[in-house]
Amino acid sequence: METIISVKNLVNRFGNQVVHDGLCLDIRRDEILGVVGGSGSGKSVLMRSILGLQKPTSGTITVLGQEIEYHKPGPSRCWGVLFQGGALLSGLTVQQNVELPIALHSDMPVETRHELASLKLLMTGLSLSVADKYPSELSGGMRKRVALARALALEPRILFLDEPTAGLDPIAATAFDELITYLHDNLDLTIMMITHDVDSLFGICDRIAVLVDGGVVVGSVDEVLDSDHPWIKSYFGVPRAQRARRAAREST
Amino acid sequence: MNNAYLSFESLPDKLIVNVKGQWVFDEVLALEDATASVLPEAGQAVLFQCAGLEDIDIAGAWVLYDRTEQLSELGIKSRFAGFKAAHFKFLQHIIDAAAIREYEDPTEAVERPGLLRKSVEELGHSTTTYIEDLGQIARSILDGVRSPSLIMIGETIKQVYFTGVQAIPVVMVITFLIGIVTAHQAAGQLEKFGAAVLVVDLVSISITREMGVLLAAIMVAGRSGSAFAAALGVMKLNEEVDAMRVLGLNPNQMLVIPRILGLVIALPILTIFADIAGIAGGALIAVGSMGISGLQFVERVAYSTDLSDFYVGLSKAPVFALLIAMVGTLRGMQVKSSAEELGLKTTMAVVQSIFMIIVADALFATLFTHLGI
Repeated sequence: METIISVKNLVNRFGNQVVHDGLCLDIRRDEILGVVGGSGSGKSVLMRSILGLQKPTSGTITVLGQEIEYHKPGPSRCWGVLFQGGALLSGLTVQQNVELPIALHSDMPVETRHELASLKLLMTGLSLSVADKYPSELSGGMRKRVALARALALEPRILFLDEPTAGLDPIAATAFDELITYLHDNLDLTIMMITHDVDSLFGICDRIAVLVDGGVVVGSVDEVLDSDHPWIKSYFGVPRAQRARRAAREST
Repeated sequence: MNNAYLSFESLPDKLIVNVKGQWVFDEVLALEDATASVLPEAGQAVLFQCAGLEDIDIAGAWVLYDRTEQLSELGIKSRFAGFKAAHFKFLQHIIDAAAIREYEDPTEAVERPGLLRKSVEELGHSTTTYIEDLGQIARSILDGVRSPSLIMIGETIKQVYFTGVQAIPVVMVITFLIGIVTAHQAAGQLEKFGAAVLVVDLVSISITREMGVLLAAIMVAGRSGSAFAAALGVMKLNEEVDAMRVLGLNPNQMLVIPRILGLVIALPILTIFADIAGIAGGALIAVGSMGISGLQFVERVAYSTDLSDFYVGLSKAPVFALLIAMVGTLRGMQVKSSAEELGLKTTMAVVQSIFMIIVADALFATLFTHLGI
């Protein structure tokens, strides 16, 4: 399996608090990697380090064979990011939000740009009647879909999702999981997903990375479940995780 | 006619177009040019032979699909062949999306009212909310007076510190400098009449009656008016204000009143400091470069300037403070949805409070002249 992102000996320290202590993680082509961990275990810090938003104390991160440098903009063309709250630009309409990255990174004529942005909106399951609305006029679930459309605007090969189903009702969350699987299968995407939604963890992730003790335990769902680290045991031992696992098993 | 993306074979009844190379986002412009050259002769159908395709994404697939649509509008049939499954799924997205678009109800455009109507509506709306807000604030002032809570008093003291005490250095520096400037300008003119000593009168009267309080108020409007609007605006966006309401706390009482009261206490104090610094600035020039002795300066100030001049200046401070704090907090509370709006309201808070300070000052000047103070 080809490695798309490789994190080596990552150390992140804030004052006396050590978040990552020599963390190593490889993300493989075409997989959906779920990242879990307790509060303060450094899930977001890991993602921000990979994205070049935060300089780690030490360690190297390579994305598609290119090392991330923190004083330069990263290879933003090859990845799309869905932030937790969507992070849509509030002064622009939905259509403009999706068109913006295309306009910045290409010299396509306006009509082409417009068409491609509309396509992305349709692909994420939105109706084009939302195109002229402002983000503040949309529901939380729709905002996430628009943010996903924007993340896909530049045809990325890697998608980062920060708690994509947080704050959505079960119906919307399931639909969003289906959307992610569909896009993953059809757009050849590699996905790294921070999530606490055990349903999506068991339902759609190929591998799971658990951040514990400054390091990471990574493997397929069954491998991670076999781990005897106390935190992992208690995380997957709670009734809701058990139920989600049973449900995922039954559906496959 | 052949190029990096397409090559052509013309048969009597069809034009075979071999699609090859990289059909990706970065190549879209070149791809559009290339597909525009797919022009079959009369009676020819078009067959896109896609086996040689190396890579494709949504953007590339769209260009290909768009050309077939254009051809079918011209009445030319076209079809695809030889697609690899890994490539065809990208085209399938486009076909799906086109189908959805056809079945979707015609999108009713979101109605955005015209500029005139919008501005009139906004004016009316903001006037009514303004009146409503003023009423609410008046009511919570009454509530606050009737049952003062400890939290409110603590908040007020905090605001006096933030808006008053912390602003003392900057207000003193600017009024000191303005004192210097006034003295310099006046000296140049008055020395021509041999009345250099009147510089002292001019500086002390203008600073105590007008400049001290005005400069302090404008500084505070920029410093604290914006801070009020921004702080309350972010609280609104974070739903903190709603949380207070649900907890049974009155946000006016918790947030607005302490800021208004705090500023009403702080600005008069700042004005006193401003007056002192302004006269000190005048003294520096008078004593330093005009040969007036320190004792002479003090005597002249005492002779020319009444305590009433000082009170005239000071009496305006609470009014200015009220204007700044009300505009700032009201604008902050009006933030509803977005970061953009927050910036807009903060700007409005500063501009409007400075405008209102100067209008009020003009009214005061007329009033005091009529009263002969």
